[in-house]
Amino acid sequence: MKNKIMKVIQENKSLSGYKIGVSVSSEQIVTLTGQVDEWQQVVDCGHLVARVKGVRNIVNDMTAKGIVIPKRDRSKEIQRAIENGKETTCDIVVIGAGVIGCAIARELAKYQVSTIVVEKNSDVAEEATKANNGNIHPGVLAKPGTLKAKLNLKGNQMYTQLSKDLNFELQRPGSLNVIYKKSEWRKMKALEVMKKTGLGHLVPQMRQVMKVPGLKWLTSQEVKQMEPHLKGNPIGGFWMTTMGLVEPYEVCIALAENAVENGTEFRLNTEVLDVLVENGRTVGVVTNQGVIRSEIVINAAGVYTDTIAEMAGDRFFTIHPRRGAIAIIDKSRKGFLKTPAGIRGGKEAKKNNTKGGGASVTPEGNLLWGPTAVEIPWKEDKSVEASDLDYITKLGMSVTNEVKRSEIITFFAGIRAADYMEDFIIERSRKVGGLIHVAGIQSPGLASAPAIAEMVAGLVNQERGGLMDNPNFNPIRKAKPQFRHLSHQEQDQLIQKNAKYGNIICRCELITEGEILDAIHSTIPATTVDAVKRRTRSGMGRCQGGFCGPRVLEILARELEKEPTEITLKGNESYILKADSRQPIVVEGGSHERIEC
Amino acid sequence: MKELSVDVAVIGGGPAGLAAAIEAKDQGADHVIILERDVELGGILQQCIHDGFGLHRFGKRLSGCGYAHHFIESVAEKAIDVKLKTIVLEITDQKIIYAMNEVDGMMKITCGAMILAMGCRERTRSQVFIWGTRPSGVLTAGTVQRYINMEGYLPGQKAVILGSGDIGLIMARRMTLEGIEVEGVYEVMESPGGLTRNISQCLKDFQIPMHLATTVVRIHGNKKLEGVTVAQVDENRQPIQGTQRFIPCDLLVLAVGLIPENELSRQLEVEMDSRTKGPIVDEHFMTSIPGVFAAGNVVTVFDLVDYVSLTGEIAGRGAAKFIQGKLNLQMPAKDVLPGDSVNFVVPQRIRTVNAEDSIPIYFRVKKEMRKVEVTATVDGQVCMRKKHAIALPPEMMVETIQLEKIHEDARELRVSVKVG
Repeated sequence: MKNKIMKVIQENKSLSGYKIGVSVSSEQIVTLTGQVDEWQQVVDCGHLVARVKGVRNIVNDMTAKGIVIPKRDRSKEIQRAIENGKETTCDIVVIGAGVIGCAIARELAKYQVSTIVVEKNSDVAEEATKANNGNIHPGVLAKPGTLKAKLNLKGNQMYTQLSKDLNFELQRPGSLNVIYKKSEWRKMKALEVMKKTGLGHLVPQMRQVMKVPGLKWLTSQEVKQMEPHLKGNPIGGFWMTTMGLVEPYEVCIALAENAVENGTEFRLNTEVLDVLVENGRTVGVVTNQGVIRSEIVINAAGVYTDTIAEMAGDRFFTIHPRRGAIAIIDKSRKGFLKTPAGIRGGKEAKKNNTKGGGASVTPEGNLLWGPTAVEIPWKEDKSVEASDLDYITKLGMSVTNEVKRSEIITFFAGIRAADYMEDFIIERSRKVGGLIHVAGIQSPGLASAPAIAEMVAGLVNQERGGLMDNPNFNPIRKAKPQFRHLSHQEQDQLIQKNAKYGNIICRCELITEGEILDAIHSTIPATTVDAVKRRTRSGMGRCQGGFCGPRVLEILARELEKEPTEITLKGNESYILKADSRQPIVVEGGSHERIEC
Repeated sequence: MKELSVDVAVIGGGPAGLAAAIEAKDQGADHVIILERDVELGGILQQCIHDGFGLHRFGKRLSGCGYAHHFIESVAEKAIDVKLKTIVLEITDQKIIYAMNEVDGMMKITCGAMILAMGCRERTRSQVFIWGTRPSGVLTAGTVQRYINMEGYLPGQKAVILGSGDIGLIMARRMTLEGIEVEGVYEVMESPGGLTRNISQCLKDFQIPMHLATTVVRIHGNKKLEGVTVAQVDENRQPIQGTQRFIPCDLLVLAVGLIPENELSRQLEVEMDSRTKGPIVDEHFMTSIPGVFAAGNVVTVFDLVDYVSLTGEIAGRGAAKFIQGKLNLQMPAKDVLPGDSVNFVVPQRIRTVNAEDSIPIYFRVKKEMRKVEVTATVDGQVCMRKKHAIALPPEMMVETIQLEKIHEDARELRVSVKVG
């Protein structure tokens, strides 16, 4: 196999001149080493090797010129954490409180096990989850036979019940592929025949489409009727009616809250420094907040799943961070598009390993353009570049040219946790007992989350044997009131009950003090300005927190009994205020004394 | 739900709303109510502790709070109804207002006339497209002003200011006085955006450098701001290669412009002017919907509060006349149009039949010009000429046109500014 891989690399034009080291383990794990000029070549090489038959996964240790990804030495921190003696015991530790970790935690709460979820950030949904566009994909585009294909289909269907149980908003407007090219339309019509006659089952590439319910082929007129603002004259459209829309962080918070209500413990600001392995089995994790002993460790650490795997001595894949930038359009365009829409047959999308992007819609009614897909060396680099916005604008404009760039209220980026096989890795570690990997979860990870969680519970059952049902499990999570969605009559009644709902804090999104208090005192308390924002929408509007920012900070300080200078935007050191101006402040190289008068 | 019926309802208790309410009351409107979302009247003036307000009106250099105080006292004396911490959720073309607060709950307020005086808000980082990450430490100038002047907190210790509008300049001085090191003010345009006196008093006096044709191109830092990259820009406002410079700082203050806050106006579907970003108004600052008036920065962003109060008074007078049935709305309105070198004019239309002896026309020029002549023409015939030493885009100009100069069957009034 090694020779075959070497040959594939040498035959590739952009990689042929470089010295690239290849080794293949007995488990068909390929390790790549060497230096190339550009980061994209590192990623391309990984993808190239991934296509070689028989390769299980790739550890890509290649680097590009000028890019040094420093390895963090955790040994001292580990030492300190162990020495401080704080130790807890539970059955299962879940690493990572993104939507996947939270879905797993909530699923495990259905059984008689004790679970602790650890998260390095100050809130759940802080990483990829919060930067997701919220599409619950229908599952048409996944490659047949992959885990993605299987779990996406199942997950999409599970969302209906989940949204009812957990009281989060789910809309199913479907998703529209708009077709302008005759050749594309012919392909689509052929697809229709295959689907209707069942012939598609004979074509391996079509098998996934055969399983997806609710596919409709629209005429030009029907497309126009459905989406009058689409540009040009489409020949027709391909409507995937089961596409759903959610706010991803809302789903994540709902899952986490319900897990807590059913006995799961969440530890925020808790970073895993090491995975403890004894006699080939994991016995827990070392965190910066002490040691947690457990029989099972679930690795749902997003872009850091490969780091966690390495800590456990089970390094068999590499996550290559792929940035996705999204722009949000002002609510004044609410209702402008009904369904997320994209153009069929974008070349860029194929090149970048995404489903394409385009114009999407949020349940709240904002239009959303994007996402991009850019390979980057750094797992933490969530910066948005001019080139991102150019691409985003192109995506948006390809669907409609009525919306202008100046209507963008904000843009942001998240990092997809892609492995080189570009499929989910959900399995029991083949090297370490008790360790379960839930890695490489990129799109359609959100859509698949409930199905992933079920699958993981199955793996836990295999690992431990005999998971017992939790007779006290309550699947229902009650949502807090959302003032803006009520009628004036209902709003009036709510204020009569609790006057705090009569005090608007965020003017753009109409968020009341009552809702902010609910967020701060919720099951997973919001302790930062951004955490309040994700739970209530305060600061998400067109002024981007200009008016409400200081007020939210003030309420947080009051409710958490902290100084305003201790309140952060997004945890860690992200303080908003440097000093109380009535106190002496220390400036480098001297101090300014202030005298009260 | 509480139901209320008033003669004139004023949305917003800032300088425009206060002046409008007082004038409406003085002109005979019995029941005038001000709906203000903040905890006190005065609007943004309350956080403006610097001086220079009211030079035109009072001939004195007042602080923002001092200026507001004059009006707030008057509101109290005249027994004008004030509802604080009250937000308007919805207005209808039937002149019904849905507003709410903690005490009254939801209120349905029916009014004879309505004055929109919601002011403006600041443009944000996304609207000027600065690339990079989204850490804490990036704030608009108004927010920084609020933290420092009203809350007593310092949001950083080393600041970079983007934008040379008045708020940016004033905050440069304010932060310096508070011990925050201001590295510099960066302005993407080739000329400053603020008043000349502010450049002198806020920057020069404190040796704060201003960098023209230079902008912030990148924000650094994941959780907390670590610095910004600035770069010079070419005539198309594109960064020039090789001029990038990294500045370590923990505060980026954005003073990148103001936008009239017209969310409620848009609900009503009043006619809007794409240049002023506010409703099209007539000589009484009435919008395209009869009985709905607009005043102050909601119409267009003024640079002096004196003008804001003046437009409030015009609207207040109009509202009083409207409920008294003294406004003739049958007569077609004449257009007021921006002529050469003029960016926009306010009001955009006039009905001479309703106008008083003279009409003030507010306008801004497109570019900096010296030794200029302002001319107003009625259907091409010059009706007013005036010479000025200088005309600057940041400074709102106002010329008063005598009504007698505008003959009855005229179609349009045009304001132009020419060099010489």
